[in-house]
Amino acid sequence: MSALKTQPRVRDGALNLADWLADPQPATAGALNVFAGTVRNIHEGNAVSGMTYHAHRGLAEARLREIEAAAEARFKVHALVAHAVGKLEIGEISVIVVIRGGHRAEGFEACRWTIDTIKAAVPIWKEEHYVDGEARFLEGVPIQPVESL
Amino acid sequence: MRITIECYGASARWCGSDAITLDLADGATGADALDALADRYPDFAARRDNVAIASGDAIASPTAPLVDGDVIALIPPVSAG
Repeated sequence: MSALKTQPRVRDGALNLADWLADPQPATAGALNVFAGTVRNIHEGNAVSGMTYHAHRGLAEARLREIEAAAEARFKVHALVAHAVGKLEIGEISVIVVIRGGHRAEGFEACRWTIDTIKAAVPIWKEEHYVDGEARFLEGVPIQPVESL
Repeated sequence: MRITIECYGASARWCGSDAITLDLADGATGADALDALADRYPDFAARRDNVAIASGDAIASPTAPLVDGDVIALIPPVSAG
């Protein structure tokens, strides 16, 4: 098993992309697809200064691992995901999806499905901070079971 | 019976607290707990239908009966990513 697979997927503070790419590429894999979500400085016309990610930590950890396993079963790839909690600054990485697979087609498809599923099935909430000092939780989507996505 | 409700994300703002203690009739379910919260907190009532319940590290059925001392969590609409 990958050494990273033994690590918590919910992490305090911004994620470091290099940390999550440390596993060796499987010899049978011909594609490495990576998605990293970052904090941007504008949302719906409002100037954003940062983001706090809140989580139901136990359920979020379980769901991230469930999504990894589901991606591996569905797309026949190796999947690794991580999500940050806590206060992040503009440009910092909040979520990472790493997919290693035989070919680019299933790699892209698995990467897209995995991040879309994280957004709909993991109990994490964004609290956006604005340059005027205000903050608010973003509207989300009702949590979905992984198997429904 | 008495249960504790942990309020995650925006639900803590709707209910004005990170944790709430509720006294419910014996045999009450998670849905009954949400109804009680909706009666008490108008901001929660407006969003009640989109809130799930978690028990431990899993989503719980709203029809499952609660027991004295239970701790459940409010899971409002999520915005991971």
